[in-house]
Parts: sequence; C-alpha cells; structure tokens
Amino acid sequence: MLEITNLKTTIGTTEILRGLSLSVAAGEVHAIMGPNGSGKSTLAQVIAGHEDYVVTSGTIHYKGRNLLDMEPEERAREGIFLGFQYPVEIPGVNNAYLLKAAVNARRKHQGMELVDAFEFLKLAKEKMEVLGMDPRFLNRGVNEGFSGGEKKRNEILQMAMLEPDLAILDETDSGLDIDALRSVAQGVNAFRSPDRAIVLVTHYQRLLDYVEPDHVHVLSEGCVVRSGDKSLALQLEERGYDWLREAASE
Amino acid sequence: MNAPAISIDALRSAVSAFPDDSLMPARLDALDHMDRSGFPTPLQEEWKYTDLEPIFDISNRWLADGAANAPAVSHQDAIAVICQSVEAHWLVVANGFIDEDSLARAKVSGIAVTRLSERESAFCFDAALADLNTALLHDGLHIGISATTTLDKPIGILIVDDASTCVGVSQSRIEIELEPNSEAEFIEYHASIGDADHYANTVIGLKLGVGASTNFVRVQNRHLNHSQTARLAAELDHDSRLDCCGFDLGGRLIRNDLHVEIQGRGASATLNGLYLAGDGQHIDNHTRSDHRVGPATSAQEYRGILSGDCRCVWNGKAIVHAGADGTDAQQANHNLLLSEKSEIDTKPELEIYADDVKCSHGTTVGQLDDKALFYLRSRGLNKKYARQVLTRAFAGSIVNKSPITTLRQHLAEMVEKRLGELTDGEIL
Repeated sequence: MLEITNLKTTIGTTEILRGLSLSVAAGEVHAIMGPNGSGKSTLAQVIAGHEDYVVTSGTIHYKGRNLLDMEPEERAREGIFLGFQYPVEIPGVNNAYLLKAAVNARRKHQGMELVDAFEFLKLAKEKMEVLGMDPRFLNRGVNEGFSGGEKKRNEILQMAMLEPDLAILDETDSGLDIDALRSVAQGVNAFRSPDRAIVLVTHYQRLLDYVEPDHVHVLSEGCVVRSGDKSLALQLEERGYDWLREAASE
Repeated sequence: MNAPAISIDALRSAVSAFPDDSLMPARLDALDHMDRSGFPTPLQEEWKYTDLEPIFDISNRWLADGAANAPAVSHQDAIAVICQSVEAHWLVVANGFIDEDSLARAKVSGIAVTRLSERESAFCFDAALADLNTALLHDGLHIGISATTTLDKPIGILIVDDASTCVGVSQSRIEIELEPNSEAEFIEYHASIGDADHYANTVIGLKLGVGASTNFVRVQNRHLNHSQTARLAAELDHDSRLDCCGFDLGGRLIRNDLHVEIQGRGASATLNGLYLAGDGQHIDNHTRSDHRVGPATSAQEYRGILSGDCRCVWNGKAIVHAGADGTDAQQANHNLLLSEKSEIDTKPELEIYADDVKCSHGTTVGQLDDKALFYLRSRGLNKKYARQVLTRAFAGSIVNKSPITTLRQHLAEMVEKRLGELTDGEIL
C-alpha cells in the first residue's frame, strides 16, 4: 500500500530524513518509534503532503501511484489520513461541518453518493459513542477549547468517519490519561481491517499495550535503524534508545 | 493654497433656498460655526488616514448643480426588499427626506416618533460634519421609547439614497432616547442605488436612561461608488447597556465615528464591527469610549477582511477619566489581508487617569493561518474551499456576536455574498 524508498527531506536548510525506506502492506499495523528529533513527525507530515518539507530525493508510492505528485487534499480523498500530533483549533468552523465536508469530499472522489444531514448525524453519533465522546462536541468549533484528550479523540472520530485506507497516527497517545488512551485504542482497534493499514508514530511503548503492532521500526537521525516485531518495542522500553544509536554508529 | 473644503458661500446659498422653518436658526448657526472651524484635513490626527477631499468634491459639484436631490427615491423596490427581508418597524429616510408613510406606520405603543422640526431640538455645534448635517438638514426624527417599554420587534431606520439621475448629497439625523428601564433594538441600515456620485452624511444620537438596554446594529451596504460619513454618539446612564455591532459591506469612502460617553455607574458598552473591503474602497472606523465614572465596562472587537487594492483604518480610543475607578475597557482589532495591495492602519489608544482599572488592547494583521489551512486540506477540502471556510469563519465570529438575533441570517447572507465577491480572485 505504501512504499517509501530512500527518502530524503529538508525543512529550510536542515535535512531531517536521510534516506528512509519503509514498506507497509494492507492489513498491517506498523509502529514507528524513536527519540525526539529522529524524524518521526516529519515522516507523518511528508506523507500527508505538508508543503514546508521539501523532498530532495527518494520516492513515495501509495497504491502504486507517485504520492509526491498529489496535493494534500487529493491524498486525503485517496484514503490517507493523518491524525495530528497537535490538532489545530479552528474557531468559527463547526466540527460537524468539517466532518461532513471531509466525508463528502472523499465520497464524491470515490463516486459514492453524498451523505445527507440525517445519515451523517446518525453515523457520527454511533462513532462518538464508541469513543466515549459527548455528541455536543459536534456543534463546537473544530478543536476549539478542547482538552488534549478531547482533541485526540476528535482526530480518531475523523478517522472513523473518513474510513481511510492508510491511517498515520502521530503521537496520538501523547498527553492522554489512561481512560482516554483506552478509548482511543479502542477506536483504533475497531478500525483495524485486512483492507487497511495503520502507522502509529509513538514515543512510548504504552499505546502498544492496547494496539498490537505487526512491525516495529526505530528511527534515529532520519533513518530506520532497526525493524522487528512487537518485542522490539518492549526492548526499547527496557533499554531506551541509546543502545540502538550506538549499534547503528558501529 | 487653501485646504480642500466645501464652499461656504455655495452652502449659504443652498441653505437660503430651504423653507424658513423652525430648523432655520440652527442651520444658520451651523454655517457660521463651519465657517469659523473649517473642515477636517489629514493634518489633524483624527483624520490622518482619511482624506475627505473626494467628499468635498462631490459636495461642491452638487452645490454647483443647484443642490437638488430627487424628492423621493424612484426605486421603491429597493426599499421594499430590505423592509420585507428584515422584520422591524421601519422608518425610511430617502435622499434626506423622511418618508411620511413609514412615519404613519410607526405608531406603536411605547414608541413616539416626532420630526425634529416639531420639537425643541438642541443642536450642538462641535464637529464640521455634524455642522454640515445640521446646515443641510431637511428634517430629522426623534424616537422616544417610554419607560419600561419592551418592543415586539426592532425599530429599523432605513437610510436610502438614489443617485440614478444626478450627483447627490443627503443628510439624515436621528435622535433616540430610551427612558429608564426600557428595552429596544435598532437597525441602522444604509443602502444606495444609482451610478452617479453620492455622499451621505448621518448623525445619530442615542441616550440611554437608567437601566435602559439596547441592541444596535448598523449595516452599511452602499453602492461601491457612493461615500458616507456616519456618526453615532451614545450617552449611557447608570446600569444601562448598549450592545452595538456595525457592518461595512459596501461604499467607496466610508468614515464611521462611534462615540460612547459612559456617565453612569454599572453601564456597559459592547462595540463590535466587521468591515469587508475590496478594490477602490476606503473604510475608516473610529471609536471613542469616555469612561467618566466607574465601575463600568466597555469592550470592543472589530474585524476586517481586505482584498484587492483597498485601505482600511481602525482607531479605537478609550479614555478613563480621573475617578472612573473600576473601569474595565477592552479593545481588539483583527485584520485579514488577502492581497498585497490592501492596507490597514490600526491604532488602539488608551488614556488612563484613574488608578483601579483593567484595560487591554490588541491588534493583529495577517494572512490565513497556514496550520489551519493544511489541517483542512489534509481532511480532503481543496485549497480554495479551505481558504473560503477560514475566511468565512473569521467574519462569522462577528456576525455571531451581532446582538439582534432575527437579523443574523440576513447579515450572514450579505457577508457571504460580499466575501464571495472579494475572494473570487486568484488569491483563493
């Protein structure tokens, strides 16, 4: 589904990704771990199409197409979803309005019938119940005045509504208390299916107690320095990241 | 060389053609005062960013042509459309003349509407444009709301001008008085039609008695070739409340002066506004809140969206006089610049002569938030649409603050329409 080969990117004059390769197939859950500044969030933003990051070499293919040729909105409509590490507050734009516009942008692109107000509300309420979200959040400004946990739940709600093929969740676990973490994990697990791929970008192992990954990759200084199964995450929890950096530099 | 001005001699001869009614002494006094004080020039701090020369020019041409206005608006349709789309007791001033029919319809319990010519009116002679208004006034209206009255719907003041046959200048003047503990809502609505040049000058006085409460919405939706100066001076007694919101959607050269005198403890004034400007427009909002006593509050938030080749001005002044302790005065002005050629001059001013006060001000000038834009695009909204959503939201926050809820839908539609015009360029 996603094929990244030898990707190098810069922001301003700083090189962040330095030859990163990654392959994600449908049905898989990948965890990307690594210390601060290793390029995890950059990778997520580049896949979503953030224009501040310049790809200097390498390729990204998504469902066989050159992803780098696509605008961010086209990527979204083609089924890529980025759960933001810091969801943006947009006062004055109604949460339900954005959700419905997003769902219909994707449906229209897929040649599907657009969702009407009634159907939308029913669907949104169902998904919110799974996430333990108060339906009143629909009528507030997008993320406006939401707590950290509420913002992350709102990201997962968007994901559940948009039904993407590839979901990249950037530090969705950070800043969550244990209850919020559980309900977010529940949302992610409900979303898992053989047709979909999930990439979890996370600093800590604790989300992986609830969402079990098929593959774990460790990023350091813009490259994947080690890949393994879920036991790699446990090792990292025990030993930190330094031993990998040392191993990589040898 | 003399500073640009309206010819006093031509004004004198125009005034001499007015009927010799009860307003004539005031007209003549106003002429004398104008003659002595002169007209505003950009050398004065208050007029630094707004040069009235185009307005003087229209006025001089109008005077040279015989100072004639059409006695009534030929396009009654335009009036009907506005009056029917917003539920209110409508009073109509067309080309500076009070519409007799609308006066007859406004006979409602609790409201007393009288012509200024039929009452003892005290005109004060202070500012040149108010003097101009007095000098050329055919007649004005006094609207009294009797004590403890609550109205079923707003009072609408429709100031409409038709410049389809010749260059025009019109004056309108409204004195509003709310007796103690009365409540009323007002819509001050400016519209104009016709392709010839036009200048309209409005003076409104608003007196709020003890415990009186009013929502006041000003809508300026003039022809893009027409200019306007408008002054609203409000006096607030004890525990009175004024919630005011102004919308500037049209017009060529627009200057609004809003002056609030807080004279009673416990009074509160909310002054919000939204201006949308495009090619060739100049929109200037000056506000001034005088806190004479405390505790009392004034809060204002103006927002502007500027597109194309235009210029806007916001100057918000709050003066906390000695002894006005317990004053809370907040000011904010936020601007969204959608083009490189648009210009905003924004200036908050605080003068504080009391000790125990809470004052703040802030202004911002910027483009759309890139983070929000990317967020919306990452949800599948195309770039143009995402920009429109954010621009609309920026304006929407003021529409949602406009205090007359029955007017909001109409306002939202007008704002939407104007934003559509302003954002249809390549910028989106």
